[in-house]
Parts: sequence; structure tokens; C-alpha cells
Amino acid sequence: MRGLSTLWMRFRRNRGAVAGAVTLGLVVAAALVGPLLYPVDPFDMVGQPAQPPSASFLLGTDVAGRDILAGILNGARISLLIGVLASLAATVVGVAFGALAGYYGGWVDDVLMRVTEFFLTIPSFVLAVVVVAIFQPSVVTVTAAIAVVSWPSVARLARGEFIAQRGRDYVQGCRAIGMPDWEIILLQIMPNALPPVIVVSSLMVATAILTESGLSFLGLGDPNLVSWGYMIGVARTVLRTSWWMSAIPGAMILVTVLAINLVGEGLNDALNPKLRKR
Amino acid sequence: MNISKFLTLAAAGLIAGAAASDALAQTPKKGGTLTYTYQPEPTAISTLATTAVPVALISTKIYDGLLEYAGAAMEPKPGLAESWTVSPDNLSYTFKLRQGVKWHDGKSFTSADVKFSIEVLALNYHSRGKTYFGNVTAIETPDANTVIIKLKEAVPYFLKAFQPSETPMMPKHGFSEQEIAEKKVRQAKIMLEPIGTGPFKLKEWKKGSHIILERNADYWKPGQPYLDQLVLRILPDGAARAIAVEKGEVDLAPMTALPPAEIQRLGKLPNLVSSQAGSEGLGPIMWLEVNLRDKPLSDLAVRQAISMAIDRDKLVNVIWYGMGKSARGPIVSGNPNHFNKALPKYEYSPVKANKLLDDAGYKRGADGVRFKLTQNFLPYGEEWVRQAEYVKQELGKIGIQVEIESLDMGGWLKKVFTDWTYQLTSDFHHNYSDPTIGVQRAFISTNIQKGATFSNSMGYNNPKVDELLKKAATLPDGPDRKKIWDDVQKIMHDELPVIFLIEMGYTHIWNKRVKGLIVNGISMYSNWDSVWIE
Amino acid sequence: MRQASLLFLVRRLLQIVPVVLAIVALNFFLLRMAPGDVADILAGQMGHATAEFTQQLRQEFGLDRPLYQQFFIYMGKLLTFDLGVSHLQQTPVIVLILDRLPATLILMLTSVVLAVALGVVLGVAAARREGTIADSLISVLALVVYATPAFWLGLMLIVLFSIKLDILPSGGMIQIGAGLKGAAYALDVAWHLILPAATLALFYVAIYTRLMRASMLEVYGLDFIVTARAKGLSETAIAWTHALRNALLPVVTLAGVQFGHLLGGSILVETVFGWPGLGRLVFDALLQRDLNLLLGILFVSSAVVVSANLVVDLIYGLLDPRIVHK
Repeated sequence: MRGLSTLWMRFRRNRGAVAGAVTLGLVVAAALVGPLLYPVDPFDMVGQPAQPPSASFLLGTDVAGRDILAGILNGARISLLIGVLASLAATVVGVAFGALAGYYGGWVDDVLMRVTEFFLTIPSFVLAVVVVAIFQPSVVTVTAAIAVVSWPSVARLARGEFIAQRGRDYVQGCRAIGMPDWEIILLQIMPNALPPVIVVSSLMVATAILTESGLSFLGLGDPNLVSWGYMIGVARTVLRTSWWMSAIPGAMILVTVLAINLVGEGLNDALNPKLRKR
Repeated sequence: MNISKFLTLAAAGLIAGAAASDALAQTPKKGGTLTYTYQPEPTAISTLATTAVPVALISTKIYDGLLEYAGAAMEPKPGLAESWTVSPDNLSYTFKLRQGVKWHDGKSFTSADVKFSIEVLALNYHSRGKTYFGNVTAIETPDANTVIIKLKEAVPYFLKAFQPSETPMMPKHGFSEQEIAEKKVRQAKIMLEPIGTGPFKLKEWKKGSHIILERNADYWKPGQPYLDQLVLRILPDGAARAIAVEKGEVDLAPMTALPPAEIQRLGKLPNLVSSQAGSEGLGPIMWLEVNLRDKPLSDLAVRQAISMAIDRDKLVNVIWYGMGKSARGPIVSGNPNHFNKALPKYEYSPVKANKLLDDAGYKRGADGVRFKLTQNFLPYGEEWVRQAEYVKQELGKIGIQVEIESLDMGGWLKKVFTDWTYQLTSDFHHNYSDPTIGVQRAFISTNIQKGATFSNSMGYNNPKVDELLKKAATLPDGPDRKKIWDDVQKIMHDELPVIFLIEMGYTHIWNKRVKGLIVNGISMYSNWDSVWIE
Repeated sequence: MRQASLLFLVRRLLQIVPVVLAIVALNFFLLRMAPGDVADILAGQMGHATAEFTQQLRQEFGLDRPLYQQFFIYMGKLLTFDLGVSHLQQTPVIVLILDRLPATLILMLTSVVLAVALGVVLGVAAARREGTIADSLISVLALVVYATPAFWLGLMLIVLFSIKLDILPSGGMIQIGAGLKGAAYALDVAWHLILPAATLALFYVAIYTRLMRASMLEVYGLDFIVTARAKGLSETAIAWTHALRNALLPVVTLAGVQFGHLLGGSILVETVFGWPGLGRLVFDALLQRDLNLLLGILFVSSAVVVSANLVVDLIYGLLDPRIVHK
């Protein structure tokens, strides 16, 4: 408990991070309860197409006469969901790779890092596009594709942490008493190696949201769900006459990603206070 | 059909063409450049490589057909063949070629080229070659200016086969014997460096940017073409294309060159003309294809309910920005010779649709869902996605839960035409100038063939319809044939082998200074030799 | 020393060739897992086509052979730098790529240079004024830009500069039909380049600014700067000579990485601005199952990335002579 409160103390000192946390809280709240409080189906044709924001439609209607506010609220769910899931998946895979490579070293390290390097060399967005296009766009494929292109950076970081930790006394001690490798990796080293990884994966949520929006914009999103990138893609055909239709969902992405980045930096200050001194 | 009747028809066609074309109302001016835009970029400059729209748009200016066509009904008139006669049994066609016509490389155009273009090229490489020429038994060339084509069975639409997009005249000397023997025709040099007889020649092709055609000074029509240059400007972005048209940087956006939203906006501008005329001979019709092999969809009541749940007018007005009309059957209402005018409009009534499903025993579950279906859409652009979303919403309201699957072209073609694992999908066909070519292919049971694209992928099998279609395929146009097609349309209207949705309206937009564009039912695939700029 | 660099080059190449080949191989099999092939696409484009017709196309293209044979044939050709023919366009892949490569390179290079230059200037400026309003302003701006989806930024720039103000073209690379030559042509291209290059660059400007600021602050704390200050050198001189040279190293590293990622980013930006480059071509090739073309582009772009990394290594050597001696 004491640890947590120190963390909070440190986090609170970063005003940007607090603002980010508040904003992010609002977005999450909108995603969770928004569609319940404002139960309009974002795919229903409810009015004349391309209406500017007005009293009856707070954010206007899109090219097919659908309520943009409903789209924004439902889109928040998808964007956040895919962002978080993709980041989690990438973290799990990345940490697994990094942990094994860093802990064992030698040929294990060589092989795993060759694979990682391979994924780092492919232009990541191109790979994501190829994967989604080939396996048919859906929440699962989009999430998987983003995870596939995101895990290598986590792997590198985790490997570095594990290499740094494996020579420490406490690890030597564990080995000496015959503790199995998996226990050392998971229970002993992991808690120490995790803080920088947490920072990176929280920032990865932001990147994942950006990647998702790019994919959806290209028409590679789940066709049964509204996401912000999808809304920009829809609005693009009428950019000249109804620019606000693309502006609104884009602004939502910007605000959300910005908030996540601020929170990530706050976490960094809180979890890795030594780095801050520089 | 005898000779004199054909000559009369040809003459009538000439007149109709003259009336339709505003070019003759004023004196055409020579010179100038016409710039048009289309997306995607053509992949070749010959419809032998592919008959895709962008290819047909450009290749028809370079390669002429044997005949020209006039009016919405596409009546044949003299072109490279200055006259023709048909034997009384309709089994032998004799064409007299115009003398002194030269290929772009200066060599003479002869009967051997015609024979080659049909026998070697169209029959083997054009996707509709076998439809047109499958009945040909012999092509004789008694001299350099005469071609006699003999048929096994009469083909009512035979003279429609000689359009530039369907049977382009290509030079025999443009292909090596090796290329023909090894079937490497699509890789021949001429596919990228075309040699035609048409009014324009290829000057420059900068991939991803533009194609420039220049005036063929040796074109056989004296004084024509009027234009000095024809430029295709490639602009991958729809909004950018619209801006270019609006600012006058581009003179013409044919067919589906612009996003419908932009067409609606541009159509109101004073310096531009927007017109749905000039596509009657293509007759694009769009429908919701249903897999009749699947349980709930094989039930007529279900198809009727689906049909009633969709508001076609709303679909046209909102999703397609008013471009098109609600469909009434397999043939577009603009088709002057074959449409059955007695067909009623489809009714829109979700209430009745619900009742139909209730009565047919499809009970709603606790979640309000009667049954689930998957839906695909033709991956041709935004509007197709919007339409799929709209259909999903409307069917949801009558208790049919629809899951949309997004596939790209490769995936879609495979799923719909090879695997037959789709349930609902949007699709559209061209009627072309004769329903035996454009309509029969999707509904005759012999076309239930795995892997055949844009064929009977529904698995629709009605022996009565088969019989009528076969009969119509050999009868000459006239009241008897009209009656058969009327019957076919009535059956399909009621039986809903697909849910007919929209007669799509290709809306061409051009700058007011462009004259003489609309000359017949497939004006954008005409050679534009009488187009001029004020 | 020359020999050392040469050895280094060879070693790098030996490391990178297998990676490039693996990328091509992975994509070869990925794409063959996709439903439908280029023969299907061609048959689809032609309206009605029979199954025999499609099969005939497949034979013509060699797609009816067993997969492993196709793979070895392709890889065999690749080793002789033969990228094959695009079956959809009936044109050698290399021709299609060379047609588009200049446009992509112009866009990429401009945006990298723009990003590095702006990022360095802003980063140094912020570092020199650490803690002031200017510093905060630059940092906040960098954060905001960093959070902006590039394709959306592009759209908004079009709204502002092309639609509302009407001072910059909204798309394309040249004013077609103008028939410009020489300097006028270059100027025209530059005019069209402004918005897409800015769009592609801004995200990286944000990164470089932050990186540069941090790296400058770090260098400022080092002994030799303290010595320089003691010698009475002006702050400007210190910043732009002593500190910069050292602080630049991480920026150069990142520029190499950025170059590698630009092909992905340019898919979106080229889509938004109708820029006739490789990004758009790679996307179309994918959707149309134009396997040879797609693999060709990936091969060439990997080669470009590799060369960019080599250039980075060389620059690194120039900035920090120790590297080569190591």
C-alpha cells in the first residue's frame, strides 16, 4: 500500500499526467456508459445525410444520415478495446521472447533475437495491412495484426532488463538453492523487470489506436463495428463539403492518444524515478 | 431478317445518331485537348487483356470495331466495313471493308486482319468471345476487302458483336507466330504499344500519372477526329478528381469516375453538364445475390420478406446520392427494346415482411432474432459498404440478424463464384446491348458452374426459364422474342432468384465546352472521333 | 581504416541478405494463403468468364504448379535480380517499380530531411531555454503532433490549405497537361510536395524534437561543455558546435529507422494526397493479388531501407570517429 501511495505521489507531481488521466477517464467513461445513456444505433439511418451539428444531432449526421455522436460513443469502445487488447497481446509475447532470450542467452538469445530483428525490418504498417487483408478484417485479425507488429520492441526492452538482472546476487542465490528456471523468471526477475515494460506497453496502447485508425481508414476494419478511423474514412468522400465530419472523430483520436501518452509519461516518472533525474 | 430491312435499320440508326448528337447542331471546331479522368488506372491498352472499364475507355479510341453504332438501342452503321449483307437464313454475313484504311504504323487494313481479330484473338482471349462467335463455322476472305462469316445457328445479336470494346480490330502483323502458338498474346509488345486504325494513337504512358493519345492524321474519316489530343489523367483520390473537374483541369469524368457524393455536388455547378444518358447499351443493374442452396434463402417467403424490408428509393437517394432508380427486374427500364413495361414496382413494407416471416413459421427468439445470415459486398468502394450496412440494419428490423464480412476482390470472387459459401452479397451486371448476352448468363441453369465469374452463382434452376432463354437466344428481334423476354422478366420479378435492387445510373460529368460526347447507348466506349471542344 | 569500413559493409550485407529473403518468403506464403489469385481477379474484371478461361490464365501465369515449385522458381529468379512480370498489368515488375520509385524517394527524403532539420532546431531551441515558456510550448506542441493520426492531419491540411485558403494543390505530383520542363517542372513538383511531405514529416518532427531536447540536456551536463564554458565560448557557439555534434547521434540512428517505416506511412499519405508512389502501389498489388508486384516492391523497399541504414552507419562514423575503430 505504501508503495502505491508513493507512486501516486510521484505521478501527481506531473501535471500533464494528471490532466491526461482525467481526460482518459472521461473517454473510458464515455466508452462504457455512453452507448447506454445515448442508445442510438450508430448504423441506423436516423436523419437526412450530412447535417452539420445541431440541437437534434449534437455532432451532426454522416453521409448515410447516421448519428455521429452515436458513432463517437460506440467508436470509443472499439478503439480502446483494440488498443488495450493489442497492447496486452504484444506485451505478453514480447516479454516471453525477451525473458527467454535475456535469461538464457547463448543460442536461445541468438535465435529469438534474429526473429525479433526480422520483424523489426519489415515495414510494420505494411505487414499489418497484409495480415488484415489476407485474414479478413475483424476485431480479432486487426488486434492480432497490431500485436504482431508491436511485440518486437517489448521483446528488446525485456531482454535488456533480464540481461541486467540475471547476474544479480538474488538470482544467483535462487539458482544456488535449486529453484527451477521458470520460477526464477516469473516470480523473481519479472517483478523487477516489469516497470519499464509497463511504461512501454501503456504507450503502445496509443500507437495501437493510431494503427487501428489507419487500418480502418483504408477500409480494413471490422465491418460490423464503428471505430473512429472508420468514421474518418466514411467522411473523407465529402471532405470538401462537410469537413467537420472527418474532423470530429480525428480529434477524438488525437485527444485520446495524447491522454494515454501523458499518462504513460507520468507512469514513467512514477515507476522509474531514477530516469527522471536526467 | 433480310438485307433491305437491315439497310433501313442502318439508315434509321444514322438519323437517330444525328439527332442524339449535339455535335451536328453546331459546326464542330478542330483542335484542342480533351482531358478525362478515371480510377483505377488501366492495366493494358486492349480489351483482349481485360475488359475492365478503364481499359475499355481508352482502348476503344485506338482500336476501332468493324462497325459503328447509333442511338440508345445501338443500331449498327457502317464503319471499317462500309456495307454488309445478311443471307435470308441469317447464317451468313458478308462484310465489304472500306478501302485505303491504314494501321497506325502505315500498313494496310485488310480482311486477313478481321479474320485474325475474330478467329485468333476474340474467340480465344476476349471474355465474351465465345458468346459472340461460338457459333461461327468459317470465316472466308475471298479478297482483301471482303469477309464472309458463316454461322451454325442464327444469333440475334450477331451484329452487336462488332463494337470496339467487344471485338477490337487488331493487326495480324502485331503478333509473332510464337506468341500466338504459345498463347503469349497478353504479353505481346502491342499490348503496351498499340497499333490500331482508330482516330487516336498512343503518344505517352506515364504509369501512375497520365496517358496521352494524339490525333491520328491518317484516320479514314476526312477531317476527323476533331481533337488534337486525348489525355487520361490518373488521380487515385476521388476528391482530387472532383476538384480537377470542378476547376476545369479535367474536362470529363465518365461513368463511375467520381464518388457519387461529388457527382451530386458538381452536377449543380453552372460550368458542368451531368448526364445519365449514353449508357443505355450497358444497362448496369445491381442486386442482392442470394445463395438459393441455403435453407432459409431457398424459401420464397424469406426472399420476398427481404425484398420488402429494403427501401429501394431510400437506397438510391441516400446511399447512391440519387444516381439510379429502383429496379423492377433483371433488365433496366431504360432498355428501349427489351424491358417489360408491365412490371410493377417492388413494395416496401417492413410490416408485411414481418408478417410473411411470421406466417412462414420463422419465429423470433428471445433476442428478437429469427435466424442469422452473413452478407458480403462487392469491393468496389465506399457506397457498396454503406449499402451493406443499410441492408444489415433493415433486415435486423424484421428479425434477420446479418453479419457483414469484408473481403477484397480476390476473396470475394472466390467465395461467391468458386466456393459458393456466401449467403447474401451485393453484385451488379451489365445488360449489354442484348439480354441474351447480358442477362441469360446469370440465370440459365447451365451456368451453374464453379469458378465462372458473374454467372449463376445463386444456383437458380427453373426449367421454364431455361427453355425460354434458349428460345430467345436464336430468335431474331421482334414481337415473338419480346414476348419471351417479357415472360422471363415477369417470372424473375416474382420468383426473386436475386433481390433486384437498383438500376445504377452511370452519371457522366463534363465541362460545357465539350461537345458531341453522347452518340449512342455506350457512348463512353465509342471512339470519340466526333467529339470537339468549343 | 578504409579496409575496416569495407569489412564492416560486407558484414552488414551478409547479415541483411537473409533477412530480406526471409521477408520475401514470408510474404510469398502469406499471400498464397489469401483466397483467390490474380487469375481470379482478371477473370472478375472481365465480367463473365468461365472456369476454363480462368484456368487457362492460371496456366499461362504458371500458377497451376505446386506451390513449392512456384516458390523455388520465384526465389531462383530473384537471386538473379529478375522480379518477374506483373500478371495484372502485363509489364515487368521492375518497370512498374522504377516508374514509381522516384516519387516515393522524393517524398521520403524530403520528409526525413524536413523532420530532422525541424526536429533538431526545435529540440536545441527548447534545450537551450529549458524551463521557459518557449520550452514548454515546444514540448506541448510536440506531444500534440505526436498524438495526431498522420492521415487525418493530411486531410485537415487539405481542408485548410486547399479548400479554405486555396493556396496549395490538394493532390497529385504535377499539374498534368501543363507540359512544364526543367526548373518550372521542379518547382511544380515542389509545390505539390509541400502538403504530403509536411504530413509525413510532422510525426517525426515531434519525435526528433523530444529526442534532441533530451539528448542536448544530457550533453550539456558533460565535462567538455563545462570546459568550453570555462574557456569563455558563447552559448550559441557551444550549442551549435560542441553540443550538437554529440547530441545528434541518437537522431541519426532514428532517422534510419524512420526511413524504414516510411513505406508504411506513405501508404496512408499517398492515399490521401494521390501521390503516385510505391505505397499506394503496394496496397493495390495486395488487394489484386498481384504477387510478383507485391514481392518486388517489398524486395526493393527492403533494399532501400538497407542502403539507408548503411548511409546512417557512415554518417555515424563521420560524427563519431570512434565507431569505425571499434
